[in-house]
Order: sequence, then structure tokens, then C-alpha cells
Amino acid sequence: MKVTLELINQMQSQGVIGRYAIGGAVGATFYLEPAATFDVDVFVILPTTQSGSLLSLSPIYEFLTARGGRVEGEHITIGSWPVQFLPASDDLEKEALEQAVPTEVDGVRTWVMTAEHLVAIALRTGRPKDDARVLQFLETAVVDREQVESILIHHGLLPKWERFQNKYLEK
Amino acid sequence: MDKQAWRKRMASLTFSEKIRILEKLRERSLAIAASGLRKNPPKGR
Repeated sequence: MKVTLELINQMQSQGVIGRYAIGGAVGATFYLEPAATFDVDVFVILPTTQSGSLLSLSPIYEFLTARGGRVEGEHITIGSWPVQFLPASDDLEKEALEQAVPTEVDGVRTWVMTAEHLVAIALRTGRPKDDARVLQFLETAVVDREQVESILIHHGLLPKWERFQNKYLEK
Repeated sequence: MDKQAWRKRMASLTFSEKIRILEKLRERSLAIAASGLRKNPPKGR
């Protein structure tokens, strides 16, 4: 992971990407016990070029393949980790990047989404494994539930939260 | 150590330590997949 993050940081310092943060299962591992995962999800802000132009992941792929990255489907493997770059596509993801927590892996600086944003994004995604992760966050009490609810309200996700509560928490 | 205490202990590790565990879990999953015991490697996210 050290090599992976060093290259991502290098990409950031050269302006290929803007702010970034680790989300998904690896992000959740920052707060919870480790759970097996195949890849690492990196949410990124892509620098805008001309107004109205489509944002593209091509500069990321070009940068990384020139430095040994291997494209495999929707991932690019850097070091030993397949990475999926996910451009922040809405206000929730942009907010998650703005509020991401700085940390380090083996001395390399990186950012991880807050537990509350990981919960909100997992709740919105809503696959069984996302639901399981939300439950894990709630059981281990590493999230501020008021903060989660505030995020969910702000981003129109309260109906999803209510459905989740009905399904898992109120039986 | 019971399961809950074990989970708590795992959760209290540093991020670097947890990442090393993730890497070992991943290597093991890939080795199992390569051995043919499992048809597909696990998918993350």
C-alpha cells in the first residue's frame, strides 16, 4: 500500500488529481477491524480544464501506466493493490472529500473519509455488503449517529435511513 | 479472548497494521482462487 499511496500522492502534487480520500472497505478498516477486500476505492476531485468539458480519468491512467501501473478492467494496479478511482460525482462525495481525515500508512500521508460519510455513502449504495458495513459501524459505536443523521438529511437520504432502520434495527 | 474482545483489539490497531492484515488476507484469497478451490477472487468496495 505504501507504494500505491506514494504514487497517488505524487499524482496529486503534480496536479493530475485534486483532493482525494480512501473510501469503501479499506476506508472502513481505518475505524473497524480489518475485513478482506480485493481493491481500494479512491474518491478523487479531478481538476477542471475548460468549462463544460467532460471530466476524464485518462490523465490518471496515463500518469500511472507510465510508472508501472497495470490497467485491469475498472481497476489500475499500483504496487500490489488494484485501485478504483471514483471521481466525486455529487455533493455528498465532495463533502466527504472536504472533510476527510488525514492519516498515515507506513509513514506516507493519506486521507480517509470520516466514519459518518462512509456510513452515508454505504447506506446510499445499499448492497448487502454495504448494509453489513453500516451495521458494523453502528454496533461498534464509532460513528456519531446525530452527525450521520445530519448528513443523511442534508443529502436527501433520510428515506433510505428509515428503510434501513425498519429492516435491521427495529425488529 | 472472546469474539467481541478480539474484534475490539483488531479495531484498535493502527491503520498501517490493519493494512498489513488486509494485504495478507488478500494474498490468501488470491492464492485460494489460483489453486482452483474458489472460482473467482472476492470483489471489494
